[in-house]
Amino acid sequence: MEIVRIEDLRWKYSEAREYTLKGVNLFLEEGKFLGIVGPNGAGKTTLVYTLNGLIPYRYNGIKKGRVFIYGHDTEATPVEKLTSWVGLVFSDPEAQFTSMTVEDELVFGMENIGLDRKEIKARLEWVTELTNTASLLEKPPYELSGGQKQRVAIASVLAMKPKLLIMDEPTSMLDPIGRETIFEVIARLKQEEGITIIAIEHNLELLAAVADDMALLNDGQIIFQAQTREFFNNYDLLIANQIYPPEVTQMAGILRKEGYWPGSLPLNIEQARKQISKSLVRAV
Amino acid sequence: MKKTLLGYIPEESPVYQLHPLTRVMFLLIVSIYPMLVAAPEWNLALTVLILGLLVYAKVRMNTIKNYIPIMGSMGFIILISYTIFGGYEPSYIPIGHLGSLTLYFQPIRWAIVTYMRLIPMIFVVIFFFSTSRERDLIVALRTLRVPFAMTYLVGMGLRSVGMVMEDFQIVREAEKARGFDTRGKSLFYKLRKFIMYIVPLFGLALRRSEEFSNALTARAYTFRGLLNQQKRADYVLSHYHLSFVDYIFIFTLILALITLVILRYHYGLMGVESTVINKLVLQ
Repeated sequence: MEIVRIEDLRWKYSEAREYTLKGVNLFLEEGKFLGIVGPNGAGKTTLVYTLNGLIPYRYNGIKKGRVFIYGHDTEATPVEKLTSWVGLVFSDPEAQFTSMTVEDELVFGMENIGLDRKEIKARLEWVTELTNTASLLEKPPYELSGGQKQRVAIASVLAMKPKLLIMDEPTSMLDPIGRETIFEVIARLKQEEGITIIAIEHNLELLAAVADDMALLNDGQIIFQAQTREFFNNYDLLIANQIYPPEVTQMAGILRKEGYWPGSLPLNIEQARKQISKSLVRAV
Repeated sequence: MKKTLLGYIPEESPVYQLHPLTRVMFLLIVSIYPMLVAAPEWNLALTVLILGLLVYAKVRMNTIKNYIPIMGSMGFIILISYTIFGGYEPSYIPIGHLGSLTLYFQPIRWAIVTYMRLIPMIFVVIFFFSTSRERDLIVALRTLRVPFAMTYLVGMGLRSVGMVMEDFQIVREAEKARGFDTRGKSLFYKLRKFIMYIVPLFGLALRRSEEFSNALTARAYTFRGLLNQQKRADYVLSHYHLSFVDYIFIFTLILALITLVILRYHYGLMGVESTVINKLVLQ
């Protein structure tokens, strides 16, 4: 079932001279994980803001084209209804904290969508187990480490059980260990909960490991959308758009240009090892 | 220790047995007591009682010394105000001279009375914030059925204090790194250059407010009410229950207040005329 459909979307902020989004077309099926990549200023955040109604409800500008969530035009749907379908995790977790303790933070959204105490308690147990945040409930969110803050931010959105979870650069403020922890949570979400996810992320090594599909956004347009393996196979296109695939993919891409790498490009060391082993066996 | 607005509160304290509403009632009602009592010795007794409660509540007593300079300077200002600007009435009794200034008994007595009224009030506030977190205040307000938007505003107000302080440090460090430093300069210079901190702070506050507004929208919050028009669950209240002890405590506080009103205004006790100071000086 189609969960997101964007038709020729154009958006210009009222104070901007040019359109930030210049005719975006995109679709996403339920249960899929879509990774969106693109250079800074490409319009990635603007694009996801159109999915939960922040654009045009919270920003002034000119909007053309249509965005559908579960077949509902976002412009004709109340924003609170949209936000209960579409959960958005911001890049700066601290900017989205609205409460004095982690527990209040997780409960806030659930109360807003009108859940009763029994349901809130059950969801609280579920989401804290999923994101490993049970030990943080009593703490103020702004006193946590970067990784903990981001897990709390994800948990607070997940607790509302959105049909679509959007993460806008969820690891941009984290160290390598923090990033891996967040992606472990994301991998669990995908495997165990089957939630539809859109993630904007610059760390392609981690993203490639979990995404089903990838989309390249540059200069306000979707340049290319494909399944993850096929996406990274278009090495030259990605490099031309300042997108640098995982190092192992880059190495294979360079070797392929020189005629030494047969077949598709690997996304991780394990895939590269298998392909090299196969080639070596053939050569021997 | 748990961090709160006034530093840290104890991890374990017998005061936590009380519902946050009871603690807020203690703050509000006990703050009225000194206003009804003029005799400083009674307010001194109340101060000692609150200090005893601070010890009982396991509050780190060395944090109290942080407030001594404030209390000292406050006392000095009150004394100066009453002695120099206290005016004159024929019934005033002179008790000495300070240069050309004549010191009268009554203004000094009023300075002491006023000061001793403020001291227990300050200690009650210290007691409350040394044993309660921001969340306790919000729980108390929600128990009193204060609308969610208002309690939320209080919570955000409390949180923004820390955020502004944090932003101020960032701005100051950033400006210091680029050669702007007011250390060692005169107070007038510091005041004049304070705008250098205020402008970026204002900009940060605007950005934060936009982020905050987005975060609220993204979490389905709307001033129009809940999505399905249900009553807000107030989940936080499920952790707190008013016990028999809480009712007894609140009842005792109110009873003491009523008793004080009767003693003070019906029987004329605890007034300024019946203070120990009067007996000591006038006799």
